[in-house]
Amino acid sequence: MLPKINAAFVEKLLTGFIRDELGRHGCRKALLGLSGGLDSAVCAALAARALGPRNVLALVLPCGTGFRGEVRDAEGLARRLGIRCETIDISPQIEAYFAADPKATRLRRGNKVARERMAVLYDRSAEEGGFVLGTSNKTELLLGYGTVYGDMACAVNPMGDLYKTQVRQLAEHLRLPAAIRRKAPTAALWPGQTDEGEIGLSYDEIDEILYARFEGRKSRKEIVAAGHKPAAVDLVLGRVKASEFKRHLPPIAKLSPRSVGHDILHPYDWGR
Amino acid sequence: MMNIALAQIVPKLGDVEANVALHLEVLEKARKKRAGLVVFPELGLTGYTLKDLVEDVALDPVKDPRFRRIAAATKGLAAVVGFVEESPSDRGLFFNAAALIADGRLVHVHRKVYLPTNGLFEEAKFFAPGREFRTVEAPFGRVGLLICRDFLHYGANYVHYAAGADMIVCISAAPGRGIEGGDAFTTSRMWELMGEAMSYFSTAYVVYANRAGAEDGVSFAGGSFVYAPGGKLVARAAYVDPDFVVTPVDLGAVREARRTWLFKRDEKPEAIWRSLERIVRAPED
Repeated sequence: MLPKINAAFVEKLLTGFIRDELGRHGCRKALLGLSGGLDSAVCAALAARALGPRNVLALVLPCGTGFRGEVRDAEGLARRLGIRCETIDISPQIEAYFAADPKATRLRRGNKVARERMAVLYDRSAEEGGFVLGTSNKTELLLGYGTVYGDMACAVNPMGDLYKTQVRQLAEHLRLPAAIRRKAPTAALWPGQTDEGEIGLSYDEIDEILYARFEGRKSRKEIVAAGHKPAAVDLVLGRVKASEFKRHLPPIAKLSPRSVGHDILHPYDWGR
Repeated sequence: MMNIALAQIVPKLGDVEANVALHLEVLEKARKKRAGLVVFPELGLTGYTLKDLVEDVALDPVKDPRFRRIAAATKGLAAVVGFVEESPSDRGLFFNAAALIADGRLVHVHRKVYLPTNGLFEEAKFFAPGREFRTVEAPFGRVGLLICRDFLHYGANYVHYAAGADMIVCISAAPGRGIEGGDAFTTSRMWELMGEAMSYFSTAYVVYANRAGAEDGVSFAGGSFVYAPGGKLVARAAYVDPDFVVTPVDLGAVREARRTWLFKRDEKPEAIWRSLERIVRAPED
């Protein structure tokens, strides 16, 4: 188990971050994809508290009819938080695309679904004049358990430095419904998918290994000595290494004395 | 006469085992070419853009079996090798280091003093700085080691010169910048200018080994070189691309140059030292 976080303090910091980051750009509105799962529920609750519920638009974006439970939970949460909510079935565009390519693998279809959700969110953000909030947590980011330019795409991400098990603590503090807090985490890229099933380890164990490596600065050997199975440690640390590219902007080939991304270094909040 | 080999390699980033194998391979090739000295680039055992990998690839050159394999492969010759050092006397501190190894024996470890930390450089975020320049005896003469940016601070070269170095060896991982300079990055000229000037006025050999390849979008400029005393270019490796150059040098040239140009005979380190002492103690003076 990771040490307990001070959830009230984290809530204060993250609502402040959302208000401040958007405010610097003259914006008071936010959009996010609401899946019925834990991360987007926490993000929606934080945004509602930071900006006021009516300034938050939640888009529920199921692909087909296989996700009725998720849709019901997401819509129920939106009502409870008082945020605006729309449900859009994205299966027509997905099916139209793959009609010409019926042999596409499940992974390709899943990534396409994640990117279609992103495209809808960004399109609606232009209409709404709002910012897209990211809901990828630290565990997902470190494992690379996300789709590049899909669910990883966003304007700002309040969740990215909280491990999954810390997001659970925050959810409890925010009094989110038990149905959402207790359900098995899923990216909902295909029916029946669960994160822990796909990765092969529980989030409790994944977080302990990541926490030991990055917060504790422990070596692989030390983490194994602390009682984790070598195969589990290798799985987690191997995923971190293999997914490094997902945590960077694409490298720019450096030619000149000062290059974008290398040594033209301006603050993100420049002049804001 | 002695052959110097410039090993302008492309190390694999963060993979010490692969780079040890590469070093052993190059040492074997150099031995066949009857090289007396093989110079590898800065952080050749680890790759350059290490960031948080620094502590994972650090090693103790006295104890580490991988490093000892390289040392064992220098029987009958000498090598300068770049690596990340963590020694028992400085636990938890990581140095960008250069080792001079000769005939299977570790002669000296230089820790990079000037750690560039500006623009694309982040070295002082991850490395502790070295605190001195020490000139040491190698089988072929007195040698002063420098690492990359050290070389561009002329005081560092001066210390080796004042200590009687016959040869200044600089290992480097210098990225190329500027595309208005013909067939090389513009910055390559800066290194050559320093090599020419230092060999001229130190009446010593200057050996510069840079690396090739690219990491995270940054290309290393290659262009390793040897200047003989008096600013004479003896050999230069390819710009940008990997290369392996073996060049004969006449170690008697140092004596010849010092008889012709009397900078070394007339040098007065004590005058420099007194002046520096005054400057360091009373900077407002």
